[in-house]
Amino acid sequence: MSKNDIRLRRQRFARGADRYRNYGAVMERHEKEKKLKIVIRAFSMFLVALIVIMLIVILGRLEKKSRTTHKPTVSGQVITVRGQIV
Amino acid sequence: MSEAEIRQENEIVERSRKDIRAFGELYEKYFDRIYYYILRQTDDEEIAGDLCSQTFVNALNHLPKYEYRGLPFSAWLYRIAGNEVNKYYRKKKVTKVFSIEEIKVRELVERSDDTWDEDLIRKLLEFMKDLPTDMLQVLELRFFEDKDFKEIAYILEMTESGAKMRTYRALDKLRKNFHIKVKYDE
Repeated sequence: MSKNDIRLRRQRFARGADRYRNYGAVMERHEKEKKLKIVIRAFSMFLVALIVIMLIVILGRLEKKSRTTHKPTVSGQVITVRGQIV
Repeated sequence: MSEAEIRQENEIVERSRKDIRAFGELYEKYFDRIYYYILRQTDDEEIAGDLCSQTFVNALNHLPKYEYRGLPFSAWLYRIAGNEVNKYYRKKKVTKVFSIEEIKVRELVERSDDTWDEDLIRKLLEFMKDLPTDMLQVLELRFFEDKDFKEIAYILEMTESGAKMRTYRALDKLRKNFHIKVKYDE
């Protein structure tokens, strides 16, 4: 199979480019995309901040939980000082 | 395009970075060229119109990132347009079209015996169908868009020597297969 489709135009291209020439529309699309980019960036930053805050809160809670559940324990080892049990 | 003209054009680009309305001058100047460049690679006016608009929107969106390299601003536009065309073909998954005007082929190929027949055109088109796409792109920019190798290298994101090598290989194939003289042959 051929790699490309080569077409021969017997006549020059009709000068139809003017139908698509519209700088106003291009500017409008550019402004729209610019605004969308700003919104996406702001939303991403908000999302990142939210995730960081949530992580801090979760870690804080975990730490608090581990502090309350792990009471100091006395080891079973008997310590003697000069023959007396301490 | 002279160096002074290129510099002058870059001043418009610098102005456009501050005031986007200044870009209109470049749009008017290059719209036709970019449109027909895309049309030659799609053979569809509607698609060419859409991709051309997208090219200029992308250019406006990325204008702050544009770097002046001593080349005409159009080289950057051709590069964006080429990327848009490639993106279109990747999405559509159809065979890439190269629409060539007969008059341009006649300009490119000058038969040594001054004869020109339909059979030769047919064979030439068959031959071109099997050329790798990158070779066709180089030939198109060199002979149908009249770009120099420095510009071609920038547009196709390759080295200047690479662009030259591809062109000469393609031309060698043409010469060997058709025993023809090619435009720019000395």
